[in-house]
Amino acid sequence: MDDFENTIKMEYFERLEKETHDLYAIANEVRSKGFDVETETEIPLAKDLAERVEGLVGPEGVAARMKELENENPEWSREEIAFKLAAEISSQETNEKKETNGRGKDKKVYESFGETFESKREQNADQALRTALAILTEGVVAAPIEGIAKVRIKKNLDGTEYLAVYFAGPIRSAGGTAAALAVLIGDCIKVATNLSGYKPIEAEIERYVEEVELYETEVTNLQYSPKPEEVRLAANNIAVEVTGEPTDQVEVSHRDLERVETNNIRGGALLAMVEGIIQKSAKVLKYSHTLKLDGWEWLEGYSKEKKKEDESSESESNGTSASDEDPNNQQPVKEEKAKFEAAKEEAKYIQDIIGGRPVLGYPSEKGGFRLRYGRSRNTGLAAMGVNPGTMQLLEFLAVGTQLKIEKPGKGNCVVPVDSIEGSLVKLKNDNVVKVNSVKKAKKVKGQIAEILFLGDMLVAFGEFLRNNQSLLPSAWCEEWWIETIKNSDKYDKDLPLLESNENLTLEKLGTLEIREDSYISAKHAFEISEKYDVPLHPLYTYCYNDISKEDLNSLIRWINNYKDSFNFDNNSEVDSNYKSNIDGFKLNLSFEKRILEIIGVPHKVEGRIDKDENSFVILNHDDAFALINTLTREIDEKDLNNSELSTLDVINNISSIKIKDKAPVYIGTRVGRPEKSKERLMRPPPHVLFPIGNFGGNRRLVAEAAKKGKISVKLSRRICTNPQCQISSFNSICPHCGSPTEIGSPTRKNINLSGMLRKASENVRHRKVDEIKGVVGMISESKLPEPLEKGVLRAKNEVFTFKDATIRHDSTDLPLTHFIPKEIGITVEKLLEMGYENDIHGNPIETENQIIELKVQDVVVSNNCGEYLVNVANFVDDLLDKFYSMDRFYKVTQKEDLIGNLIVGLAPHTSAGVLGRIIGFTNALACYAHPYFHSAKRRNCDSDEDSVMLLLDSLINFSKSYLPSTRGGSMDAPLVLSSRIDPEEIDDESHNIDVLPNFSEEFFEKTYEMVKPPEALDLVDNVSMHLGTQKQYEDLMFSHNTSNIHAGPNICLYKTLPSMKEKVDSQIGLAEKIRAVDQRGVVEGVLSSHFLPDIMGNVRAFSKQKVRCTTCGSKYRRMPLTGKCRCGANLVLSVSKGSVTKYLEISRDLVARYPITHYLAQRLEIQEFGIDSLFESDKSKQSSLDVFL
Amino acid sequence: MTTEILFKFAKKNINLSPEAYQIINGIKDPLDFSSSLIVKLKSQEFSRDDLVSLNLNTVEEFMKTLGLDVPNQENDDPNSNSQKTLLSESDDQIEVKLEKNEVKDQKNSSEIKAEIDTIENNSDNKLENYSDNNSKSSSNNDLNNNLDNNSENSLNYNSKKNLDNSLGAIKKIKNVFSPSECKRNLNPSNKEFNYKTLQDTSKKSYTSGKIGNLITYFQNRYSKLSSILAKRPELKTFQKISDLEEKESDLNLIVMVREIRSTKNGHKIIVFEDDTDEISVLFHKDNNELFRESEKLVKDEVIGLLAEIKGDLAIASRIIQPGVPRIANKTMDFSAVFTSDIHIGSLTFLEDAFVRFTKWLNGDYGTEEQRKIGNDVKYLIVGGDIVDGIGVYPNQDKELSIKDITDQYEEAARLLGDIRSDAKIIIAPGNHDASRVAEPQPAIPEKYAKSLHELDNVEFVSNPAIVSLDGWNTLIYHGRGFDDIAITVKGLSHERNDLIMEELLNKRHLAPIYGERTPLASELEDHLVIDNVPDIFHTGHVHINTYKNYKGIHMINSGTFQTQTEFQKVHNILPTCAEVPILHRGVYKKLKFI
Repeated sequence: MDDFENTIKMEYFERLEKETHDLYAIANEVRSKGFDVETETEIPLAKDLAERVEGLVGPEGVAARMKELENENPEWSREEIAFKLAAEISSQETNEKKETNGRGKDKKVYESFGETFESKREQNADQALRTALAILTEGVVAAPIEGIAKVRIKKNLDGTEYLAVYFAGPIRSAGGTAAALAVLIGDCIKVATNLSGYKPIEAEIERYVEEVELYETEVTNLQYSPKPEEVRLAANNIAVEVTGEPTDQVEVSHRDLERVETNNIRGGALLAMVEGIIQKSAKVLKYSHTLKLDGWEWLEGYSKEKKKEDESSESESNGTSASDEDPNNQQPVKEEKAKFEAAKEEAKYIQDIIGGRPVLGYPSEKGGFRLRYGRSRNTGLAAMGVNPGTMQLLEFLAVGTQLKIEKPGKGNCVVPVDSIEGSLVKLKNDNVVKVNSVKKAKKVKGQIAEILFLGDMLVAFGEFLRNNQSLLPSAWCEEWWIETIKNSDKYDKDLPLLESNENLTLEKLGTLEIREDSYISAKHAFEISEKYDVPLHPLYTYCYNDISKEDLNSLIRWINNYKDSFNFDNNSEVDSNYKSNIDGFKLNLSFEKRILEIIGVPHKVEGRIDKDENSFVILNHDDAFALINTLTREIDEKDLNNSELSTLDVINNISSIKIKDKAPVYIGTRVGRPEKSKERLMRPPPHVLFPIGNFGGNRRLVAEAAKKGKISVKLSRRICTNPQCQISSFNSICPHCGSPTEIGSPTRKNINLSGMLRKASENVRHRKVDEIKGVVGMISESKLPEPLEKGVLRAKNEVFTFKDATIRHDSTDLPLTHFIPKEIGITVEKLLEMGYENDIHGNPIETENQIIELKVQDVVVSNNCGEYLVNVANFVDDLLDKFYSMDRFYKVTQKEDLIGNLIVGLAPHTSAGVLGRIIGFTNALACYAHPYFHSAKRRNCDSDEDSVMLLLDSLINFSKSYLPSTRGGSMDAPLVLSSRIDPEEIDDESHNIDVLPNFSEEFFEKTYEMVKPPEALDLVDNVSMHLGTQKQYEDLMFSHNTSNIHAGPNICLYKTLPSMKEKVDSQIGLAEKIRAVDQRGVVEGVLSSHFLPDIMGNVRAFSKQKVRCTTCGSKYRRMPLTGKCRCGANLVLSVSKGSVTKYLEISRDLVARYPITHYLAQRLEIQEFGIDSLFESDKSKQSSLDVFL
Repeated sequence: MTTEILFKFAKKNINLSPEAYQIINGIKDPLDFSSSLIVKLKSQEFSRDDLVSLNLNTVEEFMKTLGLDVPNQENDDPNSNSQKTLLSESDDQIEVKLEKNEVKDQKNSSEIKAEIDTIENNSDNKLENYSDNNSKSSSNNDLNNNLDNNSENSLNYNSKKNLDNSLGAIKKIKNVFSPSECKRNLNPSNKEFNYKTLQDTSKKSYTSGKIGNLITYFQNRYSKLSSILAKRPELKTFQKISDLEEKESDLNLIVMVREIRSTKNGHKIIVFEDDTDEISVLFHKDNNELFRESEKLVKDEVIGLLAEIKGDLAIASRIIQPGVPRIANKTMDFSAVFTSDIHIGSLTFLEDAFVRFTKWLNGDYGTEEQRKIGNDVKYLIVGGDIVDGIGVYPNQDKELSIKDITDQYEEAARLLGDIRSDAKIIIAPGNHDASRVAEPQPAIPEKYAKSLHELDNVEFVSNPAIVSLDGWNTLIYHGRGFDDIAITVKGLSHERNDLIMEELLNKRHLAPIYGERTPLASELEDHLVIDNVPDIFHTGHVHINTYKNYKGIHMINSGTFQTQTEFQKVHNILPTCAEVPILHRGVYKKLKFI
């Protein structure tokens, strides 16, 4: 069986690989025609980590050696292999033979990665460091190329040699741990090559101290601010020199040190030292032990200090959990409360309130989102579920909209999950209704007076694990209730749940998504609780803990007044039909209605509330039944006055059936970045990487430049290597004699653009060329332009190119583990054709409504991405057909035709593309793909976005030679393509994905102990437990289904409202409606954390501004005395009046309309005075006064 | 109405008991009352997420604190008498004023009510407090602020009926206490002042923020300074860069610094420009004296430059700064006191020390000799940052004792109002004051500092400004530009701001560096150029006292009345607190009030 499944899985990867190889064959045939930079495609294919590393940084053969080491030492961790390789590469014999550097190009021996080295030994050390770092960063991020400038062997003052690692700014993309490991690798190389340690002099140490401080004051904050002693400790003891390139124009006062080449801040080095070594000292220490590296004991100095802090907090939590077991001890409740209070103070997400991005809940405020544990097929990896009804209601939540959240973690992405609770709203007619669907939300739109409760937020256990955030008490929900029944001694799964109603089964009650089917009457709920001795069903458990005991008593008294009028037995009506609860419970309207609202009992109001008479509150039969049977009698004085007892405690004293806390934890949130799905455009967007200087006008039109006849631009050509020919062209094969060509050096040349354009147009038989846009100049070192033909065809197909000649489409990342064919628009036939066989239950796929597990490299792109890719496909086909004279490949007319085609996914700070396959489309402005796919790109789903490209487009058109030579230039470029996802070789965030269908009762109870997530790991099931087995690819179950992965709005209101004023108005309107939000706080927050700082910053910036030239683009720190640009043109302001005053009117408006603190109002007033004084001449003021006098 | 009240409470999670509801409903303005009750409940005893139950007792208690009649309860009206007294106290003389203010008062009345509701009561004293407070806070034309001020003390209103009356009373009282009455000397002094404002940019801001202003501004700076420089004999025949001939070997230029670079070999290359063109000039490191001088050059200052052309290179041979001539000794037959950076309204403002200082001015504090000096003081200069301001830096509200800019100036008026009226007080703005951030800053507007404006011995000037004190020309500049100079020029620091002042006099510009920390407004004229050499150069901003007589010019930095701030702690700056410099008949003295 296992073997059989294995073959299926392998078939999938092999199939993808085969198709990939087919495309490579086409691309290589295209390239062999010699019209491009190289005669082969420039994206090496890598099947696994080892090959990726070799493709990314080399050296040649390292993949084979790596696999060899893995086979020889199966127990070795990846770190051990990386360090072993570093030692091997750095210590290899140097005088044996001359080697190439592994990137396939022949370069001089001591030259690689754009650096020259003084000795082979030094170059080897450099290579060793990069290779090892690439292994540690999964061979994906650009840090090994861009984050390390170079490695040098330098001399101590005593003449001994030591190793210096030069870090560059992009080391940031590797993360703190990897940066620290880079230093450790350096140490390992030092040992392997018998170098001495780095012995810093006093001035060099103080230089670090100064730089760290300067960096924080002048550049940006570090994640961790070390004390000077901490920096000194590190600088004194790290055995290699951590140094680097200058990154910022900030100079230090410890200048002109002999061994430090720059007087500017070395940002990369500081990141490696502070956010690496110092911040991750505990990890580094652990690694140094496992890797048996000596001389790192001093790191304990840091861990001790941190431990002290940890211990104090730990002892607290231990105390809490220990005493929690004792039900009589109520102390923890108070402590808990104190903790919540502290959490509120610290809640970072709400410290900045941005205009137009509504706050949806204050920290832990009642009525915000209720924490519910579980994962749906479209959540995990920082995406969290919200009922689509709530999303529709709030309008600001679309599929993929980012939320900044209070806990766990800092942010997430919202996706619709309709099997969890929606909102509870009070309408203008004072009815209180549940909104559980988009339909219902649309129905009540415009009638909402207050949003009493936002609904559930479905949070996977993995989110707590990822953030190492202590578990928080679980909501009392259906799935927990069912577990309690299953665990009851009296439960027999072969017998009906209740004799009185044979239709009632746990299966039905567990299918949360179909409300009618999972309906249970209050009467039955009580019967079940009595029979099995379990707490009351969550539907009839209300949020009693959100009110005080006094309120509870008022409620009890009120209800008891009318108790006698209630018809307890309503059997005939109640039994099966949910809708027939006509026979309600009528109470005279009174202030206790508010209590019903707070605890979440839906009800209606009959009669006009503003006419004091004849107004009634009407509860439906079930709710009334539940309330009357729960609130049997008044709470006595003793309990009332016992401050140790919570409202829930006293309820349990009067109720015969156990009542649980329905909503122990509310999560505060605010809207963050809106979702996005849009083609990648440079500004202004070019169709072709061909330089036309400023001759094309503002729109960079090639045709416009061509009208100027001969234009002078800087570019290079390729020269034929045949000594008899030596003709220059842009081709890799000489068009004249067919010999290979080599690249010439870039010079300024006069080119006959109009002739070239005409020829290109004729070549591809397309005459319309007036909309083609080029670039001002090439940013690459070689400055070799693209063939103009590509521009003609891109313009024809309305697609634009990115800096590396690929065509990109960017979307917000969302996770998906299962899909329904119908929702993503794929047919059963197509699915079977693509290798899908069974649905989630193992049944053959026969209809388009089955739930099917997604294969790990299949992606669901947005509709507009699909449409853009159709254009890209047509462009590629045109290119094949008209430029390369080959067969068309894609032959698509609509986006559905693209299903089954291969794409490349690529994230901005990485350099390795991931192979994917289009399987369908979503209405959402996002890209749904398997969590592994996103993790392979080193992304998660808290509003990260990245790009997809059509594979053949990037294989044909991408060239490294278009990339800028500046630092960071090779980021966001497909330098290598990984064809196969191995969960073990991707970012380990994806290992936290929950794969269990339901939590156990034990787990739910464990959440009340507020333990750290690892302590509950034995109660859950996630990917990390299946790594290396077949199950890592299959049966990743989810606990809560959703019927539609793109329900709810698919565009955030923020994006559709035209002006900031309207956005802010909506934001404030929402703040007024949501119970968990303080409207005044929001208005003040927007002013004090967004508008006022913006105004003040811009006023200041205005009076310090640079000026620039619109014609030639020059910038001046200060207006030249001549008043003109060197080129003779006029200069313009870089900070306009408009940018200073853009938020002034709206701020004024807010101050006038809302009761905000005087302090803020005055701050605005003073700014206005200053702005007037800057923009209004006193002369004009006087003269306008004169008119009146 | 009734449901509105219910909603009001419901919205804030407060449950009304029927009795409470009834009583509230019976009040004359139940909505208003409800608002204030909610504010009180929510602000104090309960956390904002508690569902509050409101019973009869709470309502009644609150009504009592407000002094409203609780139905069915006999309550004396202790305030009514006092009210009368107060009213009778209000002189006829203020009635004119009253009328003027009536419109405004009406407008404010709704706000006032809300404010009053928040006022706590603590005891049964009323009248004394009224008058005390009002005398303390002098003229409080903004009622809200006054009430805020008083909230720590007590105000009692005893019945709903009286509420409006009392409000009226307060309004009247507030107008009664005009600033002049706060002062020791009620009558304006007859002392003869030979005071003149020689340069003041207030209400002379002609910039409109257009690009042309920026051109004019720097051209004006260049032409002003170049006309000073052109008087120097070495520069009488200065050339324009664009007129330089190919073969020219000696350059004689008046130029503005554009850019300063160091070469790999440790030389300096400075790009200069005039109104025609630009030129790069090398400063050789082996030319020690010149090289040292060049280290003091900063961007955007204007100098005279002598250089030689050697090959393609222009090599500097001499820097000529505008500089100042030595001024002749003058006799001074009065005393002047210099202060700045008082930071009233900050939690770290040294009020006690400042009160001692004002007492000293009045001759009520210090040794006999000190008192004698105090009595001789004719002018008091405040060189900026008289108040701490609001919103000057993020989260400033946490470090303020007075969170209202008008109240801060009120408090300033109260403190300065204690100074005898025959001493003239001259106030310029600083970066903490309610003015624009860009220099030159117009004088503090009357809108915020009304009561200060009403003190008749106070003059407001711009920053910078030049005033003549009985013939002594005094240049007042707050000193924001010091920040840039201290960081840019080696050897200059906040502590040695006397050296900075000397350097600025030599550069003849108060804030030459553009585009860094000091925002500069592109006025048509560069008011920061030191056109005329002053007798006294007074600065502040850095909170560190210095004094130096440079070429006959008294250069004074007047320290501060604020203790070390968080910012200064971080940057290890030690302020000199409550040390006040005095020019006593031409002799510099410093008195400590701490």
